[in-house]
Amino acid sequence: MAFDLTIKYAGEGGEGVISAGDFTMRAASNLGYEVVTFKSFPAEIKGGYALSQVRMSDEKILSQGDGFNILVAFNGEAYEVNKPLLKPGTVLIWDGPEGGDFQPDIEELEKNGVYVYAVPMSKIAREEVGAYITKNVVAMAATFELFGFPIEVLKEEIVKKFSKKGQDIVDLNFKAVEAGVNYVRENIKKIDPYKVPGKLPKKDVIILEGNQAIALGAAVAGVKVYAAYPITPATTVGNYLSPLILKTGGFVYQSEDEISSMAVVIGASFAGVKAMTATSGPGISLMQELIGLASMTELPAVIVDVQRGGPSTGMPTKHEQADLFAAALGGHGDDQRIVIAPKNVEENFYLTIEAFNLAEKYQLPVIMLTDGSLSLRAEAIPTPDIKKIKENLVERPTLRKDNVKPEDLDKIFRYQITENGISPFFAPEESPKPYTATGLEHGENSYPRTTPKERTEMMDKRFRKIQNVEDENPHLVEWDLGDLQEGEKADLAIVAWGLTASIAQEAVKRLREKGYKIAALYPKILYPVPVKALEKLATMADKILVPEASYLGHFARFMKMFTNIPQTKIVQYNIYRGEPFIPAEIEGKALELLGEKVEA
Amino acid sequence: MEFVKLETKLPPKEYRSDLEPTWCPGCGDFGVVTALTKAFSEEQFDPTALSVVSGIGCSSRLPLWMNAFGLHTAHGRALPAAVGIRLAKPEIPTFVTAGDGDIFSIGMEHFPHAARKNFNITLVVMDNRMYALTKNQTSPTSRRGYKGSLNPYGNIEEPMNVITFAIASGATFVAQSYSGNPKHLAETIKAASEHKGFSFVNVLSPCPTFNKIDTFKYYKGRTIDINKELGHDPSDMKKALELASHALDADNPELQDAEPFKGKVPIGIFLKVEKETFEDKVAKLKEQFMAPNGEPNWDEILEKYRP
Repeated sequence: MAFDLTIKYAGEGGEGVISAGDFTMRAASNLGYEVVTFKSFPAEIKGGYALSQVRMSDEKILSQGDGFNILVAFNGEAYEVNKPLLKPGTVLIWDGPEGGDFQPDIEELEKNGVYVYAVPMSKIAREEVGAYITKNVVAMAATFELFGFPIEVLKEEIVKKFSKKGQDIVDLNFKAVEAGVNYVRENIKKIDPYKVPGKLPKKDVIILEGNQAIALGAAVAGVKVYAAYPITPATTVGNYLSPLILKTGGFVYQSEDEISSMAVVIGASFAGVKAMTATSGPGISLMQELIGLASMTELPAVIVDVQRGGPSTGMPTKHEQADLFAAALGGHGDDQRIVIAPKNVEENFYLTIEAFNLAEKYQLPVIMLTDGSLSLRAEAIPTPDIKKIKENLVERPTLRKDNVKPEDLDKIFRYQITENGISPFFAPEESPKPYTATGLEHGENSYPRTTPKERTEMMDKRFRKIQNVEDENPHLVEWDLGDLQEGEKADLAIVAWGLTASIAQEAVKRLREKGYKIAALYPKILYPVPVKALEKLATMADKILVPEASYLGHFARFMKMFTNIPQTKIVQYNIYRGEPFIPAEIEGKALELLGEKVEA
Repeated sequence: MEFVKLETKLPPKEYRSDLEPTWCPGCGDFGVVTALTKAFSEEQFDPTALSVVSGIGCSSRLPLWMNAFGLHTAHGRALPAAVGIRLAKPEIPTFVTAGDGDIFSIGMEHFPHAARKNFNITLVVMDNRMYALTKNQTSPTSRRGYKGSLNPYGNIEEPMNVITFAIASGATFVAQSYSGNPKHLAETIKAASEHKGFSFVNVLSPCPTFNKIDTFKYYKGRTIDINKELGHDPSDMKKALELASHALDADNPELQDAEPFKGKVPIGIFLKVEKETFEDKVAKLKEQFMAPNGEPNWDEILEKYRP
């Protein structure tokens, strides 16, 4: 049985709950373990309930998991919120027996098989360390000591984080570590079974948060202009990219609104460089007209939508995947876009690069849908081979001055009608022939045209570009058929995208362990809808379960709209409470469809 | 940052495309095309390294008539699209040609920011004081009482003083000209394009089809050159603001004898001050931080993300 441990720190925003999770994650990764984090906090700067959860394992981790093994409750609210989740066999570390703001019902908890430890983290921080701000370090040190994390690793992380702020700060935190460790050694008798087995061989990994992975991917892909307006939870993409892009000769530009961001991207792309923006739901709504302009003028553009709870202002820090309709079909008229979605941090990195490659290849806007949970999720991912990635980057087919005979110029047009719809790109300074890109319908030479014949030809040309996207990019659909043999029927099929796909993966693993045959499809491309893959999947099972974190279930509706799969085969499973699924929910729904009665 | 230029001069007509403007006969905007191509020729700009950006409206069709890299964007969005070009290739001259509705109504959130950031953009607004392409509605510069299709009883709003606004926004070159005075227009547009920084030229450009008030006839003999006739020094910002505050006096029947314009409409360069451009500041940052050839040491970057 694999080692699989989840520690959850919960308390009030601003109390160091989030950084406790980050320290623990780094320490676990430092010890050679796989890590995946889940964080959630309110939209306000201070106050409100915050949580940070770290899952560590010696095997590949697919999702944030169903719950936790260890809860470190910083205050009464954190305890109350998580009380129902304190299942038999879990551990509660609470701020007591004195100095905290709550008193759990220890007797009842212990009767239910919960291991309870009191660590007076507030009191120790206040009285022994002399700085309440170190409460989270005291709590962490106690947790590390209780579960066998080497304390040296925590100290190393403290040095890494605080040495810039001066030795005083490092010493203060060391004092908090000592105090937390000593308290456990002197006052607590360990009764729970959880223990980190020790150091594993060091892996060649890097730790990235979701939005960090997007920024790094964009820099590697060669973005030169990044324009954005601040919006939660997308802002940090720009924060990470700002110093990085300067090294590559690019620039992060803060614009006056999202409409402006998208216009800047269009202008930069028109000038011949790779450009992108990142935003969230409200920004995507504002950008729609200009996304249509990029489509009409056939300018490559990358737009990242870090989705949040909508509509309107909705829930800025909460989870949802309800922007697919807006991303794919949100503009007026028939425009051409590609929509892709990563399911974990590693894919955030690689699909950002893919977004640029697709935009350059097909000369159109590519929208990448991620979400707030993924933006904050940290994962240790295998160190990417940057050299190899850069060798395989796609660049737009720019007509170059030194590459064309002057007598041929009259026969080459910016919107040349071609078999695959892709025309030569013209860029100022690089190309010998200027043109005017216009949002008006136009002919091959870009002059405005409205005759029925030219309109039809031009619309057909533009749509030919995306007609075969699925066939030309088979890697954008991920199949997982387990040990299903060719022609063999599955008990159930599952389709999931975005973060939900990573959670579905874990559910699928469990279902297979129970002996069920599951055919799973995790599309990275959502639009144009990968019809062939979906229709093939539909031949493998009687029912297709499509879990989505939105009320309407956008992708399931796309399946009903764009494929020939009988509607009754598609089973939607929608949640919209502002949190991601947990694997047990998808597993439970699947078992229900498989005819097994399960307890919720 | 110097602009890309040709070694020899091209005649102005080389900057025109094969398309004939779809404007009505007698439209003031023809004069702007002539002045622009003349300026391009004199500046020795390279048509393959020159950008002309616009939004939507009659005047915003202008890039289509030009032999240059034109970008005819969405309504109001010319300035931020031009900013994208400035950030991507600052060595390419960038002109924005648009109307009063496009820049001062739907595109208004972009104007003060492009101005205060001092992007090296030459913005030429063809101000006919109304919306023409949608067949006669009042715009932010329409005079009081002007009858548009949505307010046939006459405009109850006050017009916006765009000269004052441009100065207050931080534009470093602010001028007004008149398409009925080709010589002044050509000189002003040339001066604007030579200015390093955000240059705004408001061109009074009559619409002969719909606007029966602000006509060539109205402007004839009614303009006053603030530089030549009043001796205004455009480096004097205080004076520029004071003069600008009277820019709309001519609209008011009660101010026909008032100083400083005595019922006339001012043309000329109100303000011209030197400030570092946004592009030059970005260039300095890149000089400071950019790796050789823009190829950073990726191993070193990845090292920071190791556990």
